[in-house]
Amino acid sequence: MLSIKNLHAGVNGKAILKGLNLTINPGELHAIMGRNGSGKSTLANIITGRDNYEIFSGEVQFNNKNIHEMSPEERALEGIFMSFQYPVVIPGVNNTYFLRAALNAQLKHNGQDEVNAADFMRLIREKLKLVNMDEKYLSRAVNDGFSGGEKKRNEILQMLTLEPKLSILDETDSGLDIDALKIVAEGVNNFRNSNRSFITITHYQRLLEYMEPDHIHILIDGKIVKSGKIDLAQQIEKKGYSWLEA
Amino acid sequence: MKYFQEQFDALLEYRSDEDNALRDLRIRAFNDFKETGLPNKKWEEWQFTDFSLIEKGDFRLSREKDLPPIPKNIPGRIPNTYLIFIINGHYQPKLSEVPNEVLISTGLEHFQSNPKLYSFENKSVGVSGSSNPFVSLNTSMMNSGLPIYIPSNLRLSKPIQIIYLTTELSDALMNHPRFVFHLGERSEATIIEHYIGSTPISYFTNSVTKIEIESNAHLNHVLIQEDSTASSLTANTDYILHRESELNTNSISLGGSLYRHNIKLNFKEKGSSANLNGLSLIENKQHHDQHVIVDHSSNACHSNQLFKYILSDKASGVFNGKVVVKEKTKQTDASQSNKNLVLSPSALMNANPQLEIYADDVKCSHGSTTGQIDHEALFYLRSRGLNKKRAMELIVEGFAGDVIQSIQNLDTKEYVNDKVSLALRRILD
Repeated sequence: MLSIKNLHAGVNGKAILKGLNLTINPGELHAIMGRNGSGKSTLANIITGRDNYEIFSGEVQFNNKNIHEMSPEERALEGIFMSFQYPVVIPGVNNTYFLRAALNAQLKHNGQDEVNAADFMRLIREKLKLVNMDEKYLSRAVNDGFSGGEKKRNEILQMLTLEPKLSILDETDSGLDIDALKIVAEGVNNFRNSNRSFITITHYQRLLEYMEPDHIHILIDGKIVKSGKIDLAQQIEKKGYSWLEA
Repeated sequence: MKYFQEQFDALLEYRSDEDNALRDLRIRAFNDFKETGLPNKKWEEWQFTDFSLIEKGDFRLSREKDLPPIPKNIPGRIPNTYLIFIINGHYQPKLSEVPNEVLISTGLEHFQSNPKLYSFENKSVGVSGSSNPFVSLNTSMMNSGLPIYIPSNLRLSKPIQIIYLTTELSDALMNHPRFVFHLGERSEATIIEHYIGSTPISYFTNSVTKIEIESNAHLNHVLIQEDSTASSLTANTDYILHRESELNTNSISLGGSLYRHNIKLNFKEKGSSANLNGLSLIENKQHHDQHVIVDHSSNACHSNQLFKYILSDKASGVFNGKVVVKEKTKQTDASQSNKNLVLSPSALMNANPQLEIYADDVKCSHGSTTGQIDHEALFYLRSRGLNKKRAMELIVEGFAGDVIQSIQNLDTKEYVNDKVSLALRRILD
């Protein structure tokens, strides 16, 4: 699904990823761990196409298509989604209206009929239950007045609604208490199937306990220095990262 | 300036049978106007606006013969409203529909019974020590507009929409409409003052609207300005609020090449509240200038201002808001917020929020921000599959949203929302 080969990339001309390789197959959940500044979020931003982030060399392919020249919305329509580390507040833009517009853009791209307001309400009410969110959030502006935990749940709600092929969860666990963490993890777990892939970026093992990743990668200074299974995350939890440094 | 004198002389001749007192008022007002002239850069409260379009305009005062063919469909009609229809300055009673209880009098009758309302000395709006020249000019040449009286204890079931249409001009015209809205005790009404222009010929509309709200009455006043881009517009709105009355205003301004709006509100008695909301959406070389003065001269009054501007291309905006809390007043609660969204590097905004507080027992806040589209928000929306244009539309519509949402009448809100969305789509294209 996602194939990254010898990727050198960065922001505003500064190199941050320095020869990263990663292959993600359909149905897999990969966790990427690393210290602050190791390049975790840069990787997420490169895949989603954020402004000022650029690829210097190497290759990023999504479903056998090179995504370098694709706009953020083209990538989204192809099935790439990111749960933001810091979800953005957009004053005056209604949550429901926004999410229906996004879903309809997706449906249109896939050659399907757009969903009307009534059908969308039925759909969204079902999804709300999955992340234990109150209906009152639907009438608010996007992330406006949401607590940290509510914002993260709103990201997962969007993921469940848009049904992306590849979901990148950028520090979705940060700022969550244990109950909210379980809800988010459960939301992701129920969404997993053999066609959907995930990258979860995290500092901590905690989230991974609930998510059962297939692969864990340790990112240091823009490169994956070690890959393994869940026991690698447990080692990191005990020993930190320094034993992996050259 | 020469054309003003010519037009004024012609008006006196044309209306030679007019009541002497009214004629005398016109002459005094015109002399006052001549003394000050049009505002220039040296006038502190007017310095950011160039009035040369009006100075050089050579506008002719509209007369009965300028009545164009009446359009089959009146533009801008908002559903479920009463209608007062004025075209090129001429009231069309046959096309209007007004509830029986509401009294519309002629200008002359009204002037004779309410001479005070026609005083043109309006010192706090103009330069210090002189009057607002546009009020003087309006008083000297007032030729259209209507006094509207809503009696006590009347709750109007539908809004009154005043459509002031300027259309089918063959040469540059000017009009000086004078409106009076008087709302009796315990009455409730919504009045929509709606200016529409559809002509490529330039025109000048200089309106004065005096609004008095008696005790325990509640008025929603919506001003929609959709004049054509060839027009120069000055508007002067004065509100007087009596005891425990309530006012909500929404000024939605889209049109005009030059637009200056003076809003003045006076809490004459205690316990009243006013929400003043405004949205200006401008492009090309449009210039919108709004000056608001809220005068807290009575106890326990509450005012809340929210004025927003969206500026594109080479448009320029001015917002000058002033809250004055008079000496010895108590329990004043006043807030003022001005927010501006600049969509182009060549657009210009000039904001000057001010508080003048001469009392102790007050709760006041004010603030002004000017910024561009939030790039984080733009990326967020695009990352969900919305294209860049749609994402920008959503953000800008969201910015304008709270002003539009504050319109209480649903049909009016929908009308304004459609017009703003349409204009935004064009601007962002």
